Amino acid sequence: MTKHEQEVLSLLKNNARISVEDIADSIGVTTATAKKLVKKLENDHTIIRYTTVINEDKMNAECGKVKALIEVRVRPEKSRGFTGIAKRIARHPNVIDHYLISGQYDFLLIVEGKNLEEISRFVSEKLASIENVQSTATHFIMKTYKEKSVLIDADDELERLAIQP
Amino acid sequence: MSIEFSRVLDQIPPSGIRKFFDLVIGSKDIISLGVGEPDFVTPWGIREEAIATLEQGATSYTANAGLLECREEIVRYLKERFNLSYNAKTETMLTVGVSEGVDITMRALLNPGDEVIIPEPGYVCYHPLVTLAGGVPITLDTSANHFIPDPKELEKIITPRTKALVLCSPNNPTGVVIPKETLEAIAALSKKYKFWVITDEIYAELNYEGYTSYASLPDVKDRTVLLSGFSKAFAMTGWRLGYICGPEALVSRTLKIHQYSALCAPIIAQYAAIEALKHNLKAVEEMRKSYLLRRNFFVKKLNEAGLPTPMPSGAFYTFSSIKHTGLSSEEFALNLLKKERVAVVPGNAFGVCAEGYIRCCYATDMDQLKEAVLRIKRFIKGLK
Ligand SMILES: Cc1ncc(COP(=O)(O)O)c(C=O)c1O
Repeated sequence: MTKHEQEVLSLLKNNARISVEDIADSIGVTTATAKKLVKKLENDHTIIRYTTVINEDKMNAECGKVKALIEVRVRPEKSRGFTGIAKRIARHPNVIDHYLISGQYDFLLIVEGKNLEEISRFVSEKLASIENVQSTATHFIMKTYKEKSVLIDADDELERLAIQP
Repeated sequence: MSIEFSRVLDQIPPSGIRKFFDLVIGSKDIISLGVGEPDFVTPWGIREEAIATLEQGATSYTANAGLLECREEIVRYLKERFNLSYNAKTETMLTVGVSEGVDITMRALLNPGDEVIIPEPGYVCYHPLVTLAGGVPITLDTSANHFIPDPKELEKIITPRTKALVLCSPNNPTGVVIPKETLEAIAALSKKYKFWVITDEIYAELNYEGYTSYASLPDVKDRTVLLSGFSKAFAMTGWRLGYICGPEALVSRTLKIHQYSALCAPIIAQYAAIEALKHNLKAVEEMRKSYLLRRNFFVKKLNEAGLPTPMPSGAFYTFSSIKHTGLSSEEFALNLLKKERVAVVPGNAFGVCAEGYIRCCYATDMDQLKEAVLRIKRFIKGLK
């Protein structure tokens, strides 16, 4: 990846709404070039989507939503290993994130639902019933301290002196 | 008893930016481009190490020169990053910031009447500290040479009383990095006329187009004092830690003052510094990259807003000419603050040669920079 591409990504990661003009000025290229750089990163799926970091505790309290972390142990399939099962699980709309992990379990899922029942139902009816899923462990998320590198409810910043030599 | 205070002290004019403090204090919605420090807090790994050290009970004095382990880390770091060679035991000591480093270096070097050449625009502490040490500050105006000290101009003001020259690269307030050839020409003069070079390299890590440390030049070591510290690169301004590197004859003397006037640098800062050098250079690089993007953005915007601003190659300051407005730097800064609530530092704080300029610090949030430029633009339009 080129230096400019890295710079574009670091700007966008910090602020997905930054304008192409501001990107151009920050990395020292023309607007046309900046536009091209962004397009390229979008096209090769380095940039997958522009999204928003939300204080989920706030949103979930008001919209009625719960989140859980689910560990899943599976028996790999002869021909495709974990991939076939992973695809079946990942397609499910309740599944927000899905990783293959090392350790006692094989998959780590982050799952969202309207309430505890919906997630329980997802686990018992959708997940545990998949052939080759051997066991699961569900952890409901009770509070978020940090999300996408952003501290939630961070203390107010201390002020710097406004004028210093 | 006489009620007279120190005459040398009273001869030093009060800081030109005091009146700005009063205006800024308590006012809301001010965008401050007037700071002189990073907008990052110290990287967490360093803070955590300090907390752990404190928990273990590190609350005592250290050796006057500082923990040997810390000085050894500094020596290793200087070798790796800037190709410098010092003996940790005999040629380094820790100070309470570079500020103390400047103070005790002047006091160790100067006899009454000794001249110290100070390039201007320059950082505010050199003049007064030379004066307090009994020396005579001599100004070298760099404004006609893109704020780079011109060796030819330098040679013209060298006298038999010239004891030392201060270099500061990257520079506060101009952001200028002195090119290697200029450093070499200065080194030749230092050898020829036998004066010390005190090189303040506190912004060395924050360079955007490459950097040569003056102290890394061949054959300069026995007349060179390197001053640096953790404030800027590691975002550790409040920890108060710097260091002096130089020949043993000099360091043993600065240490002699330090043992009485400071005793030692704060122990927690020393342990934090070890952690900083061992495991946090990556964080320094991340911060540098972040300043770089903001530099590019801000300089472009300032020029578009009608303030001619060269691209600085180090530190986190821009230095813009306001001569075309017809205002003095102080009038410009005061009116900008009152009318548009943007705080900048007037050039005259950095010496007479810095009149006609303002310094802005771009170590601030990009949205703030953007808003500040809009306000500056409106302010300049309103002047016409
Ligand atoms: C050029 C220069 N030297 C020294 C200092 C003082 O640094 P310290 O925090 O290490 O005392 C500063 C701070 O602004 C500076 O800009």
